[in-house]
Amino acid sequence: MKKFKMVLIMVAIGMSLLTPALGGAAEKYPTKPIELVVPFAAGGSTDVLARLVAKYAPKYFDQPLVVVNKPGGGGVIGTEGVVRSRPDGYSLYVGYGSGHDLVMPHFQKLPYKTFEDLIPICRLSVHSVAMVIRADAPYKNFKEFVEWGKKKPQVTASVSTKAGSVDITFQALGKATGLKIVTIPFRGGAESVTAIVGGQTDIGANHPSEIMSHIKAKRLIPVGVALEQRDPALPDVPTFRELGYDVVTVGSVKGVAAPKGTPPEVVKYLAERFKKVCEDPEFIREMKNIGQPVMYQGPAEFAKYLKDGFEQYGRLIKEFNIKLE
Amino acid sequence: MSEFLDLFQGLISGFGIAFSPVNLLFALIGALLGTMVGVLPGLGPAATISLLLPISFKIGSPVTSIIMMAGIFYGAMYGGSTTSILVNIPGEAASVVTCIDGYQMALQGRAGPALGIAAIGSFIAGTIGVIGLTFVAPPLAEFALKFGPPEYFALTLFGLLMATLIGEGSILKGLIMVVLGLLLGAVGLDPISGAIRFTWGLFMLQEGIDFVTLAMGMFGIGEILINLEKKLSTELVSRKITNVFPTLKDWADSKWPIMRGSFIGFIIGILPGGGAVISSLVSYAVEKKLSKTPEQFGKGAIQGVAGPESANNSAASASFIPLLTLGIPGNAAIAMIFAALLIQGVQPGPFLITEHPDLFWGVVASMYIGNVMLLILNLPLVGMWVQLLRVPYAILAPIIVLFCCIGVYSIRNTVFDIYVMGVFGVIGYLFRKVDLQPGPLILAFVLGRIMEPALRQSLLMSAGSPWIFFQRPISGTLMTFLILFILFQIVRMAWK
Repeated sequence: MKKFKMVLIMVAIGMSLLTPALGGAAEKYPTKPIELVVPFAAGGSTDVLARLVAKYAPKYFDQPLVVVNKPGGGGVIGTEGVVRSRPDGYSLYVGYGSGHDLVMPHFQKLPYKTFEDLIPICRLSVHSVAMVIRADAPYKNFKEFVEWGKKKPQVTASVSTKAGSVDITFQALGKATGLKIVTIPFRGGAESVTAIVGGQTDIGANHPSEIMSHIKAKRLIPVGVALEQRDPALPDVPTFRELGYDVVTVGSVKGVAAPKGTPPEVVKYLAERFKKVCEDPEFIREMKNIGQPVMYQGPAEFAKYLKDGFEQYGRLIKEFNIKLE
Repeated sequence: MSEFLDLFQGLISGFGIAFSPVNLLFALIGALLGTMVGVLPGLGPAATISLLLPISFKIGSPVTSIIMMAGIFYGAMYGGSTTSILVNIPGEAASVVTCIDGYQMALQGRAGPALGIAAIGSFIAGTIGVIGLTFVAPPLAEFALKFGPPEYFALTLFGLLMATLIGEGSILKGLIMVVLGLLLGAVGLDPISGAIRFTWGLFMLQEGIDFVTLAMGMFGIGEILINLEKKLSTELVSRKITNVFPTLKDWADSKWPIMRGSFIGFIIGILPGGGAVISSLVSYAVEKKLSKTPEQFGKGAIQGVAGPESANNSAASASFIPLLTLGIPGNAAIAMIFAALLIQGVQPGPFLITEHPDLFWGVVASMYIGNVMLLILNLPLVGMWVQLLRVPYAILAPIIVLFCCIGVYSIRNTVFDIYVMGVFGVIGYLFRKVDLQPGPLILAFVLGRIMEPALRQSLLMSAGSPWIFFQRPISGTLMTFLILFILFQIVRMAWK
């Protein structure tokens, strides 16, 4: 009996020693928690998105997703961190398609190549550029605003970032309507929202997630969206195209990316599981509430969407001769 | 009248929620954590709350987690003065002015009364702030919205003037530090033109230098380096500690500064942005002006501790107003609470009070309780902190350096900022060698980052006309006051 026990123990030890050696090949990704790197500060819209994904992930992923904030350089620092990490699928970049991916490279050389050094996994959401007016403004919709603005020497518009997606959209709107729109940049979305809510500027534009509560409170009225189709977060608001002005941008895209060299089966696993999260009705409901519509796209479609968006911004920046100096 | 009754009913139901055992426990945890990160130099409430974000929705109901986070935030304001007074290192921006007289008091063996008055002032001001939050939140929030770029410019210009005046010694030296502070504030991406300034091509500097990194370098590391020269180890041990609690005279001296500080803090603290910092400055300047013995300021005047420390606490309570009534986060720590609410599925904003009355009133009521907890927690700690001065500097200094490094690292999770802190430490040391005080530099840094964009935004709004600063009622009043104040100073100097 004693001998038998000994054998059992020996076998058990042998097994445990062998498993990792065998497992290297057989064990399936993922075997440890996956890091979601958000290159922005905690509390921002991308951070909230990542945390909601992480909240619903345990139902669909085999390992937990852990959100890590690495802010700095407008998003470049955190993204570079992912680009330089091991391409094993344990360090992912959330927010692929933000300003520093689609707009910044037109002005400044980045320490990595946004499209060559990252593999798109999926699109999670699109933050459109929605123009808003104050409820007590002398104009109630976009048409009235244009008529009002024509009588003014200049119209002021609050924007979150100089030469960001909102600024570029207003430059394009100014040209399309013939108004002189002077954009007043603030330090980020929260400050620019405060400015339009407080009536410091004539008009403003923000991503819906930044203004949902003010829209519900009827302090701000959304009058137009710069997307190609209507934004699911604001289904009643017409696009500028519907209003007769050809102003279209992709806004700020929120997708997931992995470093170049990540195995295709890992990319496939991630794309599939993120898709499942994006189909969870509770997740969709919570995202809609905070003004971030779930808009899933798989790797191939998403890659094309990003490239198109990037080129579109490039054309607009060239057309309006936007420079940073 | 019925509105008033509604308020009371809300508050009473709020106390019902806040007094539940679980919420009391988390209010206590928040107060403890807040005091801790407030005392530890470098570690701030924003970084702490962001670390707790992932577990926030596992704690249970949104009320409970927000009660804890709010506790961390206002609790940190209690602790912020401790290191300012004991070792001349401010725990946060709003405690920079506390160093001036607080540290002098400590050198005179009066660290106890300084810490005691800071705790009591914090309690009174915190409670006044919460009372304000309970009864006048919505109208005051509307007032905060009136503050646009011209108003911020006028207010920060006013603050800057105060910053040059509070410095000891020559006005020229004060001005040098203010200009340097403004220049350091300009590092990074210029928000108005999008140009990148003074970054030497480093992406790490593109978003500017963080306040904590600068302050911990200039004050923390700089102070320690200079003390290493001074054979301070013997001096500290033998330093006399006269009494631990404030005397009756201290009380009489501090009573009105605390009341005035609470009021100033509450009004200015509502403003998103630099509210707490500006209010502590304004409070200090007001006390110095009103004092019968202004020459005592800078040499250990207890009013110079009582006023600003009260102001920054009521400012902390007031900064919840824009969040809870408008959905506007005014500073980094409040922005974390904003995110925590969103993740919990609660939209902060005008409807919070009607859609989630439990949450609104529960959190407000918990702030009354939290302030009492903090007072009970902090008063006995005064005795312990004072004993800390007996710890040999050879042990204390490395611990402070360690916490500075952890704190600075925790802001962006990057080692780069620790190097930046080291560079500013050496600069801070050199400044002390030539008798330049880093206080005005730090304050100008904070104010400049608000003032410069505000000036340019205002001029964009007015198509270049400077009259915009005089046409609007609030900025017009402030600017007129400023001009009169400067004229008055010039006339007075000419008279002499």
